[in-house]
Amino acid sequence: MNRSARLVEIVAAHAGREGPLLPLLHEVQAEFGCVDGEAEAQLAHALNLSRAEVHGVVSFYHDFTATADPRPCVQLCRAEACQARGVEALVPAAQAAAGGRVKLHDVYCLGLCSVGPNARVGDQLYARLDQGSLVELIERA
Amino acid sequence: MDVAHLTLMANQIARNFAVQGDERAAAATAEHITLFWDPRMKAAIRAGGGADLSPIAAAALSRLD
Amino acid sequence: MAYEPQADFGTPQVASETRVTLTIDGRSVTVPQGTSLMRAAALTGGSIPKLCASDNLAAFGSCRLCLVEVDGMRGTPASCTTPAAEGMTVHTQTPRLQKLRRGVMELYISDHPLDCLTCSANNDCELQDQAAAVGLRDVRFGYAGENHLGLAADTSNPYFDFDPSKCIACSRCVRACDEVQGTFALTMDGRGFASKISAGQAGDDFLSSECVSCGACVQACPTATLQEKAVKEIGKPERSVITTCAYCGVGCTFRAEMRGEQLVRMVPWKDGKANHGHSCVKGRFAWGYAQHKDRITAPMIRESIDQPWREVSWDEALGFAASRLQSIKAQYGARALGGITSSRCTNEETFLVQKLVRAGFGTNNVDTCARVCHSPTGYGLKTTFGTSAGTQDFDSVEHSDVILVIGANPTDAHPVFASRMKRRLRKGAKLIVIDPRRIDLVRSAHIAAEYHLPLQPGTNVAVLTAMAHVIVTEGLADEAFIRERCDWDEYQDWARFVSDERHSPEVLEAVSRVPAADLRAAARLFATGGNGAIYYGLGVTEHSQGSSTVMAIANLAMATGNVGRPGVGVNPLRGQNNVQGACDMGSFPHELSGYRHISDTATRALFEADWGVTLDPEPGLRIPNMLDAAVDGSFRAIYIQGEDILQSDPNTHHVAAGLKAMDCVIVHDLFLNETANYAHVFLPGSTFLEKTGTFTNAERRIQMVRKVMEPANGMEDWQVTQALANAMGLGWNYTHPSQIMDEVARLTPSFAGVSHARLDEAGSLQWPVNEAHPDGSPIMHEAGFANGKGKFVVTDYVPTDEKTGPRFPLLLTTGRILSHYNVGAQTRRTANTAWHPEDLLEMHPTDAENRGLKSGDWTRLASRTGETTLRLLVTDRVAPGVVYTTFHHPATQANVVTTEFSDWATNCPEYKVTAVQVMASNGPTDWQEDYEALSARSRRIAPEIPAEAAE
Ligand code: SF4
Ligand code: SF4
Ligand code: SF4
Ligand code: FES
Ligand code: FES
Repeated sequence: MNRSARLVEIVAAHAGREGPLLPLLHEVQAEFGCVDGEAEAQLAHALNLSRAEVHGVVSFYHDFTATADPRPCVQLCRAEACQARGVEALVPAAQAAAGGRVKLHDVYCLGLCSVGPNARVGDQLYARLDQGSLVELIERA
Repeated sequence: MDVAHLTLMANQIARNFAVQGDERAAAATAEHITLFWDPRMKAAIRAGGGADLSPIAAAALSRLD
Repeated sequence: MAYEPQADFGTPQVASETRVTLTIDGRSVTVPQGTSLMRAAALTGGSIPKLCASDNLAAFGSCRLCLVEVDGMRGTPASCTTPAAEGMTVHTQTPRLQKLRRGVMELYISDHPLDCLTCSANNDCELQDQAAAVGLRDVRFGYAGENHLGLAADTSNPYFDFDPSKCIACSRCVRACDEVQGTFALTMDGRGFASKISAGQAGDDFLSSECVSCGACVQACPTATLQEKAVKEIGKPERSVITTCAYCGVGCTFRAEMRGEQLVRMVPWKDGKANHGHSCVKGRFAWGYAQHKDRITAPMIRESIDQPWREVSWDEALGFAASRLQSIKAQYGARALGGITSSRCTNEETFLVQKLVRAGFGTNNVDTCARVCHSPTGYGLKTTFGTSAGTQDFDSVEHSDVILVIGANPTDAHPVFASRMKRRLRKGAKLIVIDPRRIDLVRSAHIAAEYHLPLQPGTNVAVLTAMAHVIVTEGLADEAFIRERCDWDEYQDWARFVSDERHSPEVLEAVSRVPAADLRAAARLFATGGNGAIYYGLGVTEHSQGSSTVMAIANLAMATGNVGRPGVGVNPLRGQNNVQGACDMGSFPHELSGYRHISDTATRALFEADWGVTLDPEPGLRIPNMLDAAVDGSFRAIYIQGEDILQSDPNTHHVAAGLKAMDCVIVHDLFLNETANYAHVFLPGSTFLEKTGTFTNAERRIQMVRKVMEPANGMEDWQVTQALANAMGLGWNYTHPSQIMDEVARLTPSFAGVSHARLDEAGSLQWPVNEAHPDGSPIMHEAGFANGKGKFVVTDYVPTDEKTGPRFPLLLTTGRILSHYNVGAQTRRTANTAWHPEDLLEMHPTDAENRGLKSGDWTRLASRTGETTLRLLVTDRVAPGVVYTTFHHPATQANVVTTEFSDWATNCPEYKVTAVQVMASNGPTDWQEDYEALSARSRRIAPEIPAEAAE
């Protein structure tokens, strides 16, 4: 499915919702890794806002980026359960392994709390990580 | 004046009044032509022989003057 | 008047009935409840420093410069956001406040270039004024810190620049664009220190953004960040004159701000009752045509139209014209002569032209360009309501609950009123749009129509009758209103007619293609949604049933009790600036000023006594009939003021043939327009900036037009008409246009109380102005209809004779766009072409695909009448089967394809429906090329000293 058809789908899923702009932007950011000008314009049209208004909101929040990060991305869960199961101790090694080549993105809960520390690459989830397996995961990413 | 064109105009007026019934429509059409047409237009259509005039328009013209 | 910006009270006026009294700096003041302390202080003559507040915007409270102290209140509240309360004691100037304000100001100035002396806004800058007001002397932060000073200016808009280095982030521009204009084109990009104003998105500049160049942000900006280019080029204005826009029927008033004899800028006048300080790109910026090099300022004549023009003296030109007119009259009689008045000219000028024709030429062959736009309004509203005019003032829209827009495109054609309407819609009024095309109002930022009924062009009457069917058969009619205000028997006839099953939305859906369920829902909403107001335009009038549609609209308003109070009514949106006035002044061949029929002996006697002539009691020819009669040989001479009938009237070939057949065509205009290609005499005209008089806008509001500079051609247009009259021996001696208005007032009951002196004093007046309404009449038919009882007229749907078929399967409809005006004679000669360099043909994707066409392709547009070429724009704004174009550019020759079908009652041409075919093409047609050649030939002007014969 092309991008703009997917966007239409995302918008449709939020139809009728009060104040749909922010949740939509989050979903677009998650899906495409950015909210670019084209997405802004398409959302503006769909929500009956001006392009400028959507751009104003996008540029106000740090969560949204105008261009996608081309680097591979490893999402590492740092929420309570994973913290309790020791994720913080793995962070320095993970950062060293990622360097500038891999984007290490903190997320908060991947829904596998009982088997953490957890990470995700693309759609694939990885559980019970220790330093070795996490570093390997990052190096392969 | 182009009689065919004037005939078309008269028929169009008559057609828009037709809903009022023949009698009233003819009167209204005659009144409309009296109020809005220049003398040479009235003269030309009356001299034109009346071919192609709708019945209401023809009835209206016979009432002029 | 010396130059001074208009006073700004900081926050908008509040309408509350309740008053509160408070003390500000020891002065007592009483204001409506809800008024801000800032406004209250301004009303006492005081002034509190401010940067983010302006009296046309809701208070924002961001700059913190306007702090005050209030006894008994803690802290220092912002005066712009603090409402006045009974018994308050307020201090606006204390040492503590001064210190606080100076601190705030210092922060602003530390991030602002200090080039005041060379800045184009020097001495016209609120930042500078406020810095002085708070006594800022020195900036403690120094100027070295991080700042915005290096940002590049955006000069993409042809009329104003955006220089972000001077921006203080007050967001007045953003709020003006949102609240006043309703376009939402601007935003604050980013946040905190990094924030800056952005038009559109990251890659946009002003021109590519959604900006429509209304200028509201430029006015709102307290610094030189957003500023007219002309101020930079010419310098700061030194004086100003209040005058009225000469473009559209909204009738915005402006301060023409001058430096010496040069116009620097037009700034919308806050006290203008039609526009309340707002404007659109045309009136605000597109006045450059007045000095365009194409403008002709010397009279010219020629024996025949194949000769080049010869520049001559006024005397020679007028003598030549007068003797031709007289000899034609002697040979063929008075009825071989005629004239056309212009709805671009003033009431006074128009009145004189029709007087010249009736009293001087001795015939009633006078007509006006309103023939091709709003003549059905005159007929329809006179028949039903008893007066040929809209019922409301623009302010009325503030009280509407349901707004029905039919055959009008206000955001393009009446932009300043559209902004008002949009503001009301954003506050909750509901909208119904009946239009073949998805106009912007149907859906644009923060506006969405409840129902859009995309009817087939030519089926207005069917749709309105179906709405009436729903209202009557579902018992939604306002019988109490009808019994009291209308003729009950006529109502019953009408109700019976519309109730017939033939007129149900389900049956008529086959004709109109409007889904019956939508139509029913829209009708119910209109009848039951509270105050219902109807706004319509040329999409109603320019049809074979234009007059019927106007009457159907009036029927609908009466049936739902929507006449005679604020928020309701029937509102024709007039095209040109003075369409209303031209009609009022007796420009139609059958009636004298004030809509009195020429056959009425008493009225004629009044004029005959005043003018000392005998008037012809028979109606004269309308424009299309004049052309017919010309081809026929019985009409031979015409005086055309400010009107380009060759371009604006239907079936260009026929108009050309008519003009060509005449012995004397006198064109009185600014430019050698298309009609002048067939003229023998050219009399140079003056612009609205060069004359005094009045215009009457769509709300019957008469407003002064004031001369701001001397006419480049040496004479105001009324003087030219008088000179022509006198060349014919009429002996007129008006020395000022006010004398012409006095004559109008003396001869026209609805204008009895109008004079230039009264207008100067009142600002504007809405007719009728007479003994019963000494201050004019914002809303009509309040106590009863002008003709006693409102009249329901049965309007039967009669399909147009212009039908699609296998050869011409599509319906063409026409319209206009924001940046241009009418045939574009003025706007094409300004930088407005940045937005609309050519006319495009809009077509639905399905139709385009069937023909293998795509956007940008050259296409041939052919009708039974003729053909032309233009480029295609594929869009789903138009329904399948419908194509749409504008007619602003002569090269397009859109009227080569329009037919001669016309409104049955008024002969207003059926521009809005033409059966056409569209196919791929390589470029311009033969006619377009021939025509180009002819215009080039006939525009030749002979060199001043004729060359020695070379043969
Ligand atoms: S010119 Fe008008 S439309 Fe354009 S940004 Fe300024 S306020 Fe908005
Ligand atoms: S551009 Fe002008 S109005 Fe807009 S934020 Fe900057 S200073 Fe204020
Ligand atoms: S063109 Fe119309 S809306 Fe625009 S400024 Fe002039 S009168 Fe106002
Ligand atoms: S907290 Fe890590 S997956 Fe739930
Ligand atoms: S003027 Fe009141 S806070 Fe800016």
